[in-house]
Amino acid sequence: MGPLGQQKPMRSPASHALAYGATLACVALSLLVVLLIQPEIAGRPATLLFVPAVIVAAALGGALPGLIASGASVVGAAIAIARAGGFDTASTVDLIVLGAIGLASSWFGERLLRARADAAARTAEVTEQSAFLQSVLDTVPDAIMVIDDRGLLLTYSPAAKRLFGYDADEVLGRNVSMLMPSPYRDHHDAYIERYLKTGERRIIGIGRVVVGQRKDGTTFPMELAVAEMRAGSGRYFTGFVRDVTERQRTEARLHDLQTELIHVSRLTAMGEMASALAHELNQPLSAIANYLRGSRRLIDRGDADPGVLGGALDKAADQALRAGDIIHRLRDFVAKGEGEPLVERVGKLVEEATALALVGAKELGVSVRYALDPEADFVLADRVQIQQVLVNLIRNAVDAMEGTQRRVITIASAPAEGGFVEISVRDTGIGIPSEVAERLFQPFFTTKPSGMGVGLSICRTIVEAHGGRIAAEAAPGGGTIFRFTLRAAPSEVHHE
Amino acid sequence: MSDAIVHIVDDDAAMRDSLAFLLAAAGMKAEAHESAMAFLKALPGLSASCVVTDVRMPEMSGIDLLGRLHAERPGLPVIVMTGHGDIALAVQAMKLGAVDFIEKPFDDTVLIAAVESALGKTRELGLRDAERAEIIARLEQLSPRERQVLDGLVGGKPNKVIAFDLDISPRTVEVYRANVMTKMQAASLSQLVRMAIAAGIVPG
Repeated sequence: MGPLGQQKPMRSPASHALAYGATLACVALSLLVVLLIQPEIAGRPATLLFVPAVIVAAALGGALPGLIASGASVVGAAIAIARAGGFDTASTVDLIVLGAIGLASSWFGERLLRARADAAARTAEVTEQSAFLQSVLDTVPDAIMVIDDRGLLLTYSPAAKRLFGYDADEVLGRNVSMLMPSPYRDHHDAYIERYLKTGERRIIGIGRVVVGQRKDGTTFPMELAVAEMRAGSGRYFTGFVRDVTERQRTEARLHDLQTELIHVSRLTAMGEMASALAHELNQPLSAIANYLRGSRRLIDRGDADPGVLGGALDKAADQALRAGDIIHRLRDFVAKGEGEPLVERVGKLVEEATALALVGAKELGVSVRYALDPEADFVLADRVQIQQVLVNLIRNAVDAMEGTQRRVITIASAPAEGGFVEISVRDTGIGIPSEVAERLFQPFFTTKPSGMGVGLSICRTIVEAHGGRIAAEAAPGGGTIFRFTLRAAPSEVHHE
Repeated sequence: MSDAIVHIVDDDAAMRDSLAFLLAAAGMKAEAHESAMAFLKALPGLSASCVVTDVRMPEMSGIDLLGRLHAERPGLPVIVMTGHGDIALAVQAMKLGAVDFIEKPFDDTVLIAAVESALGKTRELGLRDAERAEIIARLEQLSPRERQVLDGLVGGKPNKVIAFDLDISPRTVEVYRANVMTKMQAASLSQLVRMAIAAGIVPG
């Protein structure tokens, strides 16, 4: 065997020497017996006495010792035959038979040795692999458990012990449902049964976050992945469990921070709009003062026609309500509102956001057109946050058109692929230079002298938190289109 | 005064309606127009004694209207309504020949006094020389600091900016501002600005 054969188990030099020694000893012993005792079978020297030596040599040493023993035996037998009176047909046949037995024994011996060596190698390999698997099982941070098709636990890793608090001997052979709280505990067997019957996969190969229960009764969120395995006649399920308490806590903290950031940026936006809003409020307030002071004058003059007075008072009240509307919209907008997304109508979202965004922009002569598809009216949205996105986009549009002659904002909605609704805000402004476009949604990037550069980055945060996407592109014929998507809501869910 | 007609120009329906109502209650004839363009279009056939206009309007602003009226009806007094704090805009309007500006929301007496004064001025334009001399005499009583504050005010600067420019606190600016108003005998900021224009501090 060459140096490349090192992976195969080799007989050591000592066992070689032993095999050859034993071979020669056996042959010599046989020769001695044949020469000294001169046993005879049917009048010929008993050459068959060499056979055990050959077999022993072949069995112990394989091919080479077997062949050497065969050669030596044939020579020894030949000597014995010569001494016993010379060769005849029968003794020649004896010699040939002895040689044939020697060859056959050597071949079988070699086969036997090789088979033994292979079996030993395979056993070593299996032992090694199982030790390897065990070490993986012991050190993987995820808890690993194997159950059979009745839900009984067969394997329970040290990580599982750490996670659930049970020792292996407390759970092995028992139903895995003991590791989950009610109502899952009571339904788990049914889950397995249903899967075995229908083959419908709800968790196998998919994985999801479920709830686990520790020995002390406390529960925790865990990510569970299940793999199926068929071995022999049985089906087994391997579960990989990871505690996601910390991750969920971090995610919740991130979510809180993000909501806070979005809220603060909304307040900032309102701060920037404060003087425009004050102006907007001044209109109804001035009108109220005019109606009331005018009424007062009429009364003082003594020619107060109740009809005229009443009309003026009604109009004053209307203006008070108008001022109230403005404040109401404003208060809604700055409210913290961190509720779950609800079913909202795109038309209403757009209408309210436009009213707020165009405050103070009336003297710019901006006109707004709507192209809202009634088929795409229902979306899942946090109303205030999406209005924040719209207000931002509309105010950007107004800013972009400051230097242009034609000032038209077109707000459109349309169904989009994958159960989404796309809302777009298009302006007829100066457009976005390509070097700016790439960085548009990055935080702290701005082209405005007084801008913070957080508006569009917040818009992206909000839209992506809603599972949608936002992008900008040049509009055909000049200007820019901002598009964002929201999940469409089935209209039958809507109650109004 | 009964045949004098006050024209109101404001794009906000409630504002122009309530103004017309107030002026009517004060015994004046008033006509309302929804935009500067509409008013200019109707102007040739109108008998106009005074105009009260908003500044911030789409298409044509109150400032632009001032310029057009100056060309088409020189001598027609125009009162400009501004939002609170739009001093820069007010000063600009005064420079362009507005007889007065009033800040929304305003007291009815302020508006009616302004209109009556404007109607009076339809007959006698500008300030008399005697008045101008009187104003200049008052100006000379101001301390250098008060004069700086006055310059800032008629330049349309808010108190905070004036304070920053002069490196004093906004509260101190308020004190100086009150002193300036007293010494100049100005009842309102608009009066102060008008005096400053008359005295040539602000090129009229």
